Parts: sequence; C-alpha cells; structure tokens
Amino acid sequence: MDWNLLLLGFGKVMLNPVNLLFVFIGVTAGIIVGALPGLTATMGVALLIPFTFGLDPVQGLVMLIGLFTGGIYGACISSILIGIPGTPAGAATLLDGYAMNKKGQAGKAMGMAVIASWFGGTIGALIMTFASPQIAKVALEFGPPEFFSLAFFGLGIIITVSGRSILKGLISGIFGLMLPLIGFDPISGAPRLTFGSMELLGGITLIPVLIGLFGYSQVFQGIEKILVLPAIKTELKNLIPKLSEIKTVLSTMVKSSLFGVFIGAVPGTGTDIAAFVSYGEAKRSSKHPEKFGTGILEGVAAPESGNNACAGGAMVPMLTLGVPGDAVTAVLMGALTIHNFQPGPMLFKDHPEVVYPIFAAMILAQFVMLFVGLGGARFFARLINIDRRILTPIIFLLCVVGSYAMRFSFFDVGISLVIGIIAYFMNYYGYPGSPVLLAIILGPMVEQNLRRSLVISHGDPTIFFTRPISAAFIFIGIFIIITSYYRVKKAMDREAPSSSAQEKAESN
Amino acid sequence: MVKKIGLLAIVVMVSIGLSGTYGAAQQFPSKDITLVVPWAAGGGTDTIARTLVKNAKKHFGVNVNVVNRTGGLGAVGMGSVTTAAPDGYTVGVITFHLSNYRMMGLAPLSYRDYSLIQLINREGAAASVAANSKFQTLKDLIEFAKANPGVVTAGHAGAGSVQHLSLASLGLREKVKIVHVPFDGSAPARTAVVGGHVTVAVTTISEVLQLYRGKMVKVLYHEDTKRHWLYPDVPTIAEAGFPNAKIIYDWRALGAPKGVPADRLKVLIDGFKKCFDDPEFQKMAYDLGLATVYLDSKSLETFLAEMEELHRPALESVGLLKETK
Repeated sequence: MDWNLLLLGFGKVMLNPVNLLFVFIGVTAGIIVGALPGLTATMGVALLIPFTFGLDPVQGLVMLIGLFTGGIYGACISSILIGIPGTPAGAATLLDGYAMNKKGQAGKAMGMAVIASWFGGTIGALIMTFASPQIAKVALEFGPPEFFSLAFFGLGIIITVSGRSILKGLISGIFGLMLPLIGFDPISGAPRLTFGSMELLGGITLIPVLIGLFGYSQVFQGIEKILVLPAIKTELKNLIPKLSEIKTVLSTMVKSSLFGVFIGAVPGTGTDIAAFVSYGEAKRSSKHPEKFGTGILEGVAAPESGNNACAGGAMVPMLTLGVPGDAVTAVLMGALTIHNFQPGPMLFKDHPEVVYPIFAAMILAQFVMLFVGLGGARFFARLINIDRRILTPIIFLLCVVGSYAMRFSFFDVGISLVIGIIAYFMNYYGYPGSPVLLAIILGPMVEQNLRRSLVISHGDPTIFFTRPISAAFIFIGIFIIITSYYRVKKAMDREAPSSSAQEKAESN
Repeated sequence: MVKKIGLLAIVVMVSIGLSGTYGAAQQFPSKDITLVVPWAAGGGTDTIARTLVKNAKKHFGVNVNVVNRTGGLGAVGMGSVTTAAPDGYTVGVITFHLSNYRMMGLAPLSYRDYSLIQLINREGAAASVAANSKFQTLKDLIEFAKANPGVVTAGHAGAGSVQHLSLASLGLREKVKIVHVPFDGSAPARTAVVGGHVTVAVTTISEVLQLYRGKMVKVLYHEDTKRHWLYPDVPTIAEAGFPNAKIIYDWRALGAPKGVPADRLKVLIDGFKKCFDDPEFQKMAYDLGLATVYLDSKSLETFLAEMEELHRPALESVGLLKETK
C-alpha cells in the first residue's frame, strides 16, 4: 500500500470535477439499470464500454466502477417496491424488504437499504484498497474441493430462506438443483437434456429464471387480485432510520460486510451468494429468527451490506490475479484490457496510475450512491402508489423486455414465462422461490467441483476432509444446517398459534 | 380526406422504398453494421472484436457495433449469423468451437455455412506449472508422468477445448497417462495451477501472459513453429523435445451469412482488412501477445478444412467424436 499513490489517485479523481461527474453518471445509471428487472450491472457495464473509448481511460473506468456500485444497490429498489428483484443480488432483500413494504414501511426499508449498502460498500472498498495482496492469497487457496465445500455451505442457507415449511423449501431447492443440469457439460463434453436444441445447449440462465420466479409469478398474482387489492399507504416521512435503529443492526452490518468481502474475493462467487449468505447467517444467529421474513430492518440490512461489500472483494482477484471474482468484474476486466491495462500480478507495478484511481473511485462511489440513493428513495417510493391496474401491465412488459435483453433471445422470454407459471403454482401451494434461485446459482458450482475434485483424487472422497479449508466449510455447513433447522423450527413452533392469522392477512 | 391520406401514404411509401433501393445500390454501407460476438462481454473474443472495430468509422464510414449473443457454447451466436439477412449488415465472429460442433454432435454448424471474410488471429496452446514446481522442463514432466502414471493432473478450459485437444494429443504421442481436470474456462484453470491444485495448466499462450510476467508460473512449452515475442525464454514444442507437425490452433475469424452480394462482401473484406491493419489494433494485439495472422477468404477456408481434419483424431482419442453424417 503506497499512501502517496493512493492520495494521488484520490487527487486525480476528486480534483477534476469532470471525473466526479462521471462517477455520478455511473452510479445513477447503475441504480436505474439495477432497479429494472432483468437489466443487470453486468449488462450496463458492457453497454457502456464503447462509450469509454473516446474518454481518458481513468474517466471511463471510474464511470464503470460507479455503475457497478449503483447497479448492486439498485436491485433492492424493485425488490422492496414491487417484490421483484432487479438483479439476483437483490433477491435476498426481497424477503424482508417487500414484507416491510406490505406493512407500509417501504420508505424506511429503502432508507435502511441505502445506508446498509453504503456501509457494506465502504467496508468492501476499504478492504480492497488496503489488503488486496493478502486477500489474493486467500483466493489462491481455493481449489476444486474448497469450491465444492463452500457451495455446500451455501446450500445450507436454503433452510433459513425456506419460509414456513422447511420441507417445502428443500423440495424447491431440489427443483432448483435440477435446472442447471440442462445444457453442455464442460467436464464430460456431453450435451445434457437438450433434446437436440441449440438454445438449450447453453443451459438455462439465471436472469430468465429470476424473472420467472419473482416477476411473472408476481404479475399473475397481481392480476388475480387486481380489483380487490387495497392500496398500500406508504410512509414516506421516516426515510432515514433512527440512530437507535441503526445501532441495533450495526453488528449485523459489520458481520455481513465481512462475509460479503470474503465471498467476493473467492473467484466465481458473486453478490447474489453474498446477499443470501449474509441473510441466512443473520437469521440463524438472531435472537428472534421467527421475525425474519415478516419485515424487519435486519432482514434488509444484512443482504444489502453483504452484497455491496462483495463488490470490493470481487475486484481483488480480478486486479491482482486476472481472475474475475464475479460476472461484473469479468466485464470490467475486459474494459481494462481494451484500454490496454491487462489485469494480473503486473498491473500494480506497471500501471499504478490506473489502479489507485480505481480504489479512490470505488470509495467515492459509495458516498455518491448514499446521496443519490437517499435523494432518489423518496421519488422511487412514490411509484408504489401508482394504481395497480396500471402498474401490473407495466411490470409485465418490463419482465418480457428484461428476459429478452440478457441474450437478445426470445427463447429466454419463453423460458421465463414457463418458470413464471410454475412459480405461480409453487407460490399458491406455499413453495418458496428463493431456494430455487439459490440452488440454480450454486448447483453448477457444487456439481462441477465435486466431479473435478474426485477426478483429482482418483475417486477418493476423503479429499474434502483432508484439506483444512474444505473440511472447515463442510463442518461449518453441517453445523449451520443443524442449528438453523432447530432454531428456525423452534421459533416457528413458538409462532404457530399466531402464524395462521398472519397468513390470512398476507393472502388478502 | 381518407383518400387523400391514403394517396399520400402510398406516395411516401414508394418514395421511401425507391430511395432505400437507390441508396443501397449506390452506397454500402449506409447504416451501422452489426458484429455478432458469440461469447460474453469482457471475455477474450469480445475484447478482440471490440478493439478490432474501435476505429471502424474511419474505415467503413459507419460504426460497427458489437452485439454479444451468447449461449449454446457459442453455437447460438454463430448460428444466428448464418440465418441473418444476407444484406451485409450482419457479420459474425467465428471461433475455434465451430470446428467441433458437428463432430461433437452439438449443433449442425460448420465454416461451410458462412461467406468467410478473414482470419483475425491464431495461437497454439502452452503448458504452465507453478513457479515453485519441481518440473523445470517438459521433459521432466513427461518422464515423471511415464514413471508415475495417473499422478500428474492437468487443468484445461473444458472438454473439447483447444487446450484439451492439445494435451490429449501430446499424451497420445508420448503414451503417458495424465489426469485431465476440465475447468469451465481458462481463468479458473490457470488460478488452480498457481494455487497448486493441479500440476500443470494448459491454456493458450496469451492467456498466461500476466502470470508469466509476474513470475507466478513457468511456461514449459508453446505449441507453435517459432518462439513468441513476449516469451523469449519459452521453447516451442519442438525445442522442448516433442515435435508435433500437426498443431491444433485456437483461432478467431470473421464470417458473413451465405448469399451476401459480391460487391458488398468485397466492401466488408476490404473494410475489415483496414480495421485489422489499423496500428491501434495491431499494437494492442502485440501487447496482449495475440498473434494476428491475416488469411483471406480462400486461405481461411483451406485452414479451417485442415483444422477439422486435425480435430477428428484428437476428439476420437478423448471419446468426444460423435459425428453425424
């Protein structure tokens, strides 16, 4: 860490108002892209790359960094307001954010989300700035067995996001695990369950599933009750949570941020997993796990600080090793390469004039996001007061566009509609959507790394237990599965008498 | 009134139609050209494509816009070009995988479905070990593998990839048993070798540039006929003692749908040649270690036909040949 260079980096970004303007444009564009279902920060960055050609490389890059930051936060806006996560990163926030909205506290949920995002994002950016080389070493420790164990640990979260019935959550999870089996298998080289279809060869991707699971099913339910649904009065006054409220979630935010940075730093795991793990752990270790899912601040603060902290973590292996930490950093890596700064171990030596402004922009972007977010929250929250008869068709349209835009594919539009119909009935019978999403994200990671590890060990399964990091994750995973099962179950039993009344209230 | 509007509409439509055909006949291109990249934004192919057309306006008079149509192991994007309108406004990047689709039974696509434009780059595979590995040369590695069958693990970018086939063909020639560990792309494979999770990683040569320069890996060989300008101390496969006359190359090229009018195809061929010769593109390729090789339409066809012939035995040796006649 070179303080002089960092100061120069800050100077480069801050002293030139044009650079600040680009961070601002990036963050604002990111929030909008993130909030629109189906449009992701990944896509936003890819779309903006050509516009950075004509700019000074640093200006272009700080704009992309701003977009990355804004995009992750933006996802929670639609999660909270319409119950449809803008990107997979916002899916965990939906659980409590949308519940708060139903209670008329959308404003407060939005305020909490901004503050948690800023908090997590800042911690992530600071850790990235000051500990990149150390974190890169951790990333290198992860081989196939470790990835398998980490994903196994992640799947344990299904228990805590299952809602009222753990059994139904597991059934959803297994359905989710089966979907990624479709497509080309990079390990054996065989097309699986594609029935000769070229489109299915690429597998079922995350975004159409996300839109089907949460978007269409939400639209279908909305249509069902379009005329009888009472208008929700949203409280817009208390946007910023009280200091005492922030204090109660402070420890959750710190813990989630650290989880987020770590998950980001492991190549191949991104903001979506960070959000779910943070949420799951906050719920498991909470004194009142039964309250999660009913609309509490912790349930918003945990995933939002987790996923934004993940951004900083994900930058580390990309910058230091040339291995993207997640999908967005993969595109950022392309952007750096196009500007002739190839990420990797030599980047810090060859191009400090680019690395340090990136650090500075990442930190600055968090503050810009805080202001834009708080400023915009009041405006966004007003959107839910739009008549459902107008809002529902608009959301439907956004879902169609969103599922198409990822790969310019009508096939994906079809996939998301089919998933949407399935999800509608799942919802009807009380099968939660989040485990499906979590399983789709982690499924390929579990499967491929299980097989890869066994290839390395010649079929000997002890490879997962003889390597310390791998063994640790397996045992922590088992511990978390068992304790969350008992704690959640106990809490739900305690809840049981009052829960039936609440269910009624929710189904209205 | 209605009649008048109808008449007006007809006049307008006819004039638009006429001007359209006139404009097109006289000048191509008169609007932006789309370049379909069958791989995700930010990846190697995407980066090359975007840099190639960065200054397209200068050479074509219009912009060439990159569109990423991913999925199906590249087959969706590459397939979409073959079925696009043959008006010259859709051009696609085609890659190595095109030689495999039919032989692996994945998709009914091959280079024969395109009006080929030109080759952009081609490069051979390279094997790297961690900097602190006990293996100094390829000979060390092969001798060790012969004495200890099934102990050496080799990571590569996935079943059927150029890295996979190059490694398989080496194993076949030297009759050694190396355990193949397929990853999903080259980035995780090269990280695994640095982290010590596999003995050796087979990537294309340019993919390990940063790790090589950062002295995190030793590159044992480069599969080509001459040394690479950015890797002066890395021997070619022949220099390493294992000559191979039939090198399987990773390649990227440009193709248009069949049936593009000859005059338009010529504009595309000339324009992309200028983009290819653009000093900015050449400098970037040089810095990234990408061997740009120009082959015109005819020689490209010969090259791709040769490649298919080399893939067949290599795929068969790893049990992936499922050719449908």
